[in-house]
Amino acid sequence: MTPLRTILVDDHADFRRLAQALLSELDSVDLVAMGADGEEAVRLCDEHRPDLLLCDIAMPKMGGIQATRLIKAQDQPPIIALVSVYGDAEHRAHAQAAGADHFINKVDFLPSVADLVEKVMEKRNA
Amino acid sequence: MPESRVLVLDKNEDRAREMTAILNFLDFSPLDFRTLKEVQDENLAPRDFLAIVLGSTELGGSHDVVNWLRKDPQHAPLLLMPEYGDDTLGLDPADVWHLAYPVQQSQLTEILRRVSIRLLNAEMESEATLEGPTGNAPAVARVRHMIAQVASYDTSVLITGESGTGKEVVARAIHAQSARRAMPFVAVNCGAIPADLLESELFGHEKGAFTGAISTRQGRFEMAEGGTLFLDEIGDMSLPMQVKLLRVLQERSFERVGSNQTRHCDVRIIAATHRNLEERIADGKFREDLFYRLNVFPIETPALRDRAEDLPTLIGEFAEANEQKGRGRLRLTKDAIRALQGCRWPGNVRELSNLIERLAVLHPNSEVTVDMLPERYRPAPGTAPVAATAEGGAVVSLDAQFTLPEDGIDLRAYIQAVETGLIRQALDQADGVVAHAAELLNLRRTTLVEKLRKYKMQRSTEAEA
Repeated sequence: MTPLRTILVDDHADFRRLAQALLSELDSVDLVAMGADGEEAVRLCDEHRPDLLLCDIAMPKMGGIQATRLIKAQDQPPIIALVSVYGDAEHRAHAQAAGADHFINKVDFLPSVADLVEKVMEKRNA
Repeated sequence: MPESRVLVLDKNEDRAREMTAILNFLDFSPLDFRTLKEVQDENLAPRDFLAIVLGSTELGGSHDVVNWLRKDPQHAPLLLMPEYGDDTLGLDPADVWHLAYPVQQSQLTEILRRVSIRLLNAEMESEATLEGPTGNAPAVARVRHMIAQVASYDTSVLITGESGTGKEVVARAIHAQSARRAMPFVAVNCGAIPADLLESELFGHEKGAFTGAISTRQGRFEMAEGGTLFLDEIGDMSLPMQVKLLRVLQERSFERVGSNQTRHCDVRIIAATHRNLEERIADGKFREDLFYRLNVFPIETPALRDRAEDLPTLIGEFAEANEQKGRGRLRLTKDAIRALQGCRWPGNVRELSNLIERLAVLHPNSEVTVDMLPERYRPAPGTAPVAATAEGGAVVSLDAQFTLPEDGIDLRAYIQAVETGLIRQALDQADGVVAHAAELLNLRRTTLVEKLRKYKMQRSTEAEA
């Protein structure tokens, strides 16, 4: 079973470190690159063609929602899960309208990612 | 762009440090400064933040901050510490929030959440110009003409058109050319605000009107007083809200949530939707009386595929906007532009703007060729011939080149044959369901119905509605 090639983008270095440690516990996640803003997310996804992008919404220069629009324009775009401290309906609506596939609340980052990855893997093997 | 950076500008160092710690904890990126000069020395602009928390300043310092904000029409909203009371410092009240101190985390989170939503709503619309949409296509010239016609009257305007066709650009142009131009233009995306919050968003609320109503808040109608209120995605508004809106349109008055004091308003309403409101009315999802109130002067924004001649101009404009954001100069080869002119653009101008931004991020200062475009924007290799059965059963074959026969053709009959042939196939494929056939043809249902009538074609199985 090949793990999901994953990219993580968040402007907080602390969160990236924490997430990296947490994600290393998941066998089906292979973290191939990390970035700190939306423009980096666009470049990294074009370069690495990952299976999954975990991306913060609020970041300097370009946020995760605009990055989602630009990344979904590429060929075979990754599954995009936007990660945010805002879990409200309006942010979710914007994320969905921009083309994001999933919405993860930062508060339950690891269980949400684990759940998402499991579902994606199941679908793949089906 | 929803920013994570929050500027904390406060001479009170202890309070600033506390605010910074809380913002960090809430997952924002606070930047802590004592004076405006320090901020300016860092080359930070008023639009570089999600919000600006303003505490105490040197004498005259708040005045300098307001002037600094006024220089940037896209400046971040101001969050004022309690020493300012209810003062909005002469700024648009929509851009000013009042914070409690000691900091109430729930209030701060809610304000920042709202501010973030406003930023998201704003970035859904491209830069507006006074004149309205740019381009030379006849359909766009017609829209500009209609804007000029209606601007000076106070009539309601209903703007329809596919998603991404720049409906807010039209609304802003109407406002800018009207006598209300010096007064506020306030935009609300009715589709993005949950039904239960829309009422307080539009009409405001009194303190304690519902859980979360921590302080009294003006609604968008009050903020737009004397100016224009733009209600986007009106087709998504719930029926109970439609009743309330209808009343405001009829009586020009409303009440804040949790208050029984009636307020009068002088606001011009411009509504917009990508939905077919006549269909929503037929489905019982939109009130006919509200439709007639809004549809006094209808304007339809054209789809990008119907004005492919404008693509080079639009591409140039977006490339320049990206250059101004410091992304380097982007150029496209003639072949690349021609390929883009042949695309369908379901997301219209918005989709084009996203593609150009993507190319500017990936290929700054270089020339983009057809091969560098995402696959869906490249012409399909050797476009397959389309066969269509025409009215009389004759088969019309279209080859990729559309070669003109030596002795010429009857163009009108040819096009009609192609059209009826494809419509018939779509109807067959959709088992005669017109709405589904319309989807296959990327037409509005009403447009297809019109064509069926024009060509005297029968919907094979569907009964007349």
